[in-house]
Amino acid sequence: MTEQRIGTDEWVEQHEARLATQSELRELVYGFGEQLPLWGRLGLLLLIGLFVPVLTSNPFHIRIAATIALMATLGVGLNVVVGYAGLLDLGFVAFYGIGAYAYAYLSSDFTGVHLPTLLTIPLITVLGAVVGFLLGLPSLRLVGDYLAIVTLAFGQIFVQLMTSLTRVDLSWVPFLTTDGPVNLTRGPNGIIELDSISIFGFVADTLTENYIIRLVVLILVLLFVHHLNNSRLGRAWRAMREDELAAEAMGMPTRLLKLQAFAIGAAIAALAGTLFAAEQKAVFPANFDVTLLITLYGVVVLGGLGSLPGVLLGAVIMIAVPEILRDIELASLLFYVGSVVALIGLIKPRRLVGLLLLNVAIIGLLVQVIAESIWPDSLAELPSVASVFPEFSVSIRFVTAIIDSLPEIVTSIVRNWLAIPVGNQELIGNIALAILIVLILIASRIKQTTQLLITLVPTMYLLALVWEIRLSGQESVTRLIFVGVVLIVLMIYRPHGLLGTQRIEIV
Amino acid sequence: MNGHDKSATPLLRLTDVNTYYGQIHILQDVNLEVYPGELVCLLGGNASGKSTTLKTILGLVTPASGTVEFAGEEVQHRSTSYRIERGMAVVPENRRIFADMSVDENLQMGAYLRNDKAEIEQDRERVLELFPRLRERLNQLGGTLSGGEQQMLAMGRALMSRPRLILMDEPSMGLAPLLVEQNFQIIREINEQGTTIFMVEQNANMALSIADRGYVLQTGRIVLEDVAENLLQNEQLRKAYLGR
Ligand SMILES: Nc1ncnc2c1ncn2[C@@H]1O[C@H](COP(=O)(O)OP(=O)(O)OP(=O)(O)O)[C@@H](O)[C@H]1O
Ligand SMILES: [Mg+2]
Repeated sequence: MTEQRIGTDEWVEQHEARLATQSELRELVYGFGEQLPLWGRLGLLLLIGLFVPVLTSNPFHIRIAATIALMATLGVGLNVVVGYAGLLDLGFVAFYGIGAYAYAYLSSDFTGVHLPTLLTIPLITVLGAVVGFLLGLPSLRLVGDYLAIVTLAFGQIFVQLMTSLTRVDLSWVPFLTTDGPVNLTRGPNGIIELDSISIFGFVADTLTENYIIRLVVLILVLLFVHHLNNSRLGRAWRAMREDELAAEAMGMPTRLLKLQAFAIGAAIAALAGTLFAAEQKAVFPANFDVTLLITLYGVVVLGGLGSLPGVLLGAVIMIAVPEILRDIELASLLFYVGSVVALIGLIKPRRLVGLLLLNVAIIGLLVQVIAESIWPDSLAELPSVASVFPEFSVSIRFVTAIIDSLPEIVTSIVRNWLAIPVGNQELIGNIALAILIVLILIASRIKQTTQLLITLVPTMYLLALVWEIRLSGQESVTRLIFVGVVLIVLMIYRPHGLLGTQRIEIV
Repeated sequence: MNGHDKSATPLLRLTDVNTYYGQIHILQDVNLEVYPGELVCLLGGNASGKSTTLKTILGLVTPASGTVEFAGEEVQHRSTSYRIERGMAVVPENRRIFADMSVDENLQMGAYLRNDKAEIEQDRERVLELFPRLRERLNQLGGTLSGGEQQMLAMGRALMSRPRLILMDEPSMGLAPLLVEQNFQIIREINEQGTTIFMVEQNANMALSIADRGYVLQTGRIVLEDVAENLLQNEQLRKAYLGR
């Protein structure tokens, strides 16, 4: 029986259509994720995480994984404050710092205190919650921009204090005998030689051990926050974020709710701070500056405010991408894969993408032949693709070797395919860049598919050329700009983040 | 319903209430009473202070002087959530549905302060019987409901706290005439089932047709108070609001 849809006006229809087209990525992730119960999802995450040190023993890779785990934990905490409760807290990093410094005071020769880890971690987590609660009190009356400014100031004050509390006069404190001013923080030199985390005699000395601890903590925090979000408290936060007055009119104690969000976020941050300090075995004020805050907001906003899988994805992207971009071959691979993905998104129907790529490949070969015949010896001699290809042998090692050298193989193929000039690279690169920009502008205005495809053929060729001779060898700053541009474009197309839901506003 | 017992304690009583927004004196010596079981409306033009009266009753603003009594208890210094817990509920101006939550979740939010699961479920059934339209769209997001549906949801949400007194701010705002009539029938039904209602309205004709008594507010002062029939006949009010 087809039931008439009573009351579905145009707006409702449109909304559903929009949801259907815009949430493909979300569906892809959640469609799979929803098949699994929570413990299955978290177990999968743990497995994937544990697999990293099995796959690679490269400390560089493990460091990236460990940073991702830590940033994801922080992101989950920030997500409670910003994503769930809707409080724009720019002082969040200070709680992380407080956790780290508290660990330093409780586990180093600097104070002479060496508490067992099983005591420090709960202690510091509670401390974080208390400080978060107290800081929340004066912030209660502030909303929006004002809250942001005050909390930002708090974050800066923390860094300032840690830098400058080097000569503090403590003679007024009763029962304390000091000779002269006391150095409370060692300023920019930081507090060093901290104890490692040690639980039941297991001492986490190595990076890998610390990584696994971070992974476990991340999963516990995820579990906790997931349940929190589905609890009465979580629902009240959502209601408050959407309409504070209405939430209050439903009897929700909005002030208390905000304080709880501050406190829980701060507790998670402080917990992450201890893990950070214990691995670095030192704390410095510079560890807690605004850069970290920006990264963290990137983590939660990129993945979609309020979405836990979004935080994980955001952490992977925000941490891994800049690291990957340090390695020229990896950066190139990412660049090419990204370009093809962009094409797939841009061109409908999708099968035309194959046609386009085929044409681009042919054009490249033609250009090479022509350039070779007009200006002999003007093209750079490159090592052949075969030279980077691993020797074939029937074994699992061959597969890993292929995977390991994939970036090299891909860049080598592309570089051999391109007509790369020997000299004047900079000049030619700049000219190509100028033409490329014009072509992109033209392409962006074309509606008709055939014309678009024809324009995109030279565009793609130039894109590869410009990347190879002009961008890929540049300083990492250029790559960060590149990341920035990618983020901006992403946010234009998905303002609600990769895995976030689109907000609905009553207008 | 007119024969309320004047000797009983009023469910709601405002005595000499003065409310300010900063320096601006809005409510001036407002006195009003609502007895258990009554349906009382508060009429008045734009900016006369109707919403402010409701906010004062709810505790969203605190009066500078005067008392707000609810069920015999002075509550003017109590928090909103305390008053809700005591049995007030509100259908706010412009509905204020939680846009990103489903219809069902919106209803659950109305029962936020309760934890008697079985009875909440019972009340939910009752609300869905009152508004079958809502049952059809339990999983639809609140923000995507039409204006009329949002009004129903706002009323259903208020009922979910099983209130003794429902405060309504302009339930007819922005609705087509047919829907206004339907809505007022439902409001009356809710009242007849035993819930006391205090309703702010600009649509005086409609409001008075279902109300027991009415107050008229003009620039922050109560200028008229009577039973509904008399107000409908009142020359002054007719000229000012009823337009005939
Ligand atoms: N938060 C506020 N700060 C300052 N002035 C306010 C505030 N809220 C309301 N006012 C003013 O108080 C007066 C009464 O407002 P109120 O909302 O009570 O009017 P109302 O009778 O409900 O009008 P309407 O029928 O248009 O909703 C108005 O002049 C309004 O501008
Ligand atoms: Mg009003």
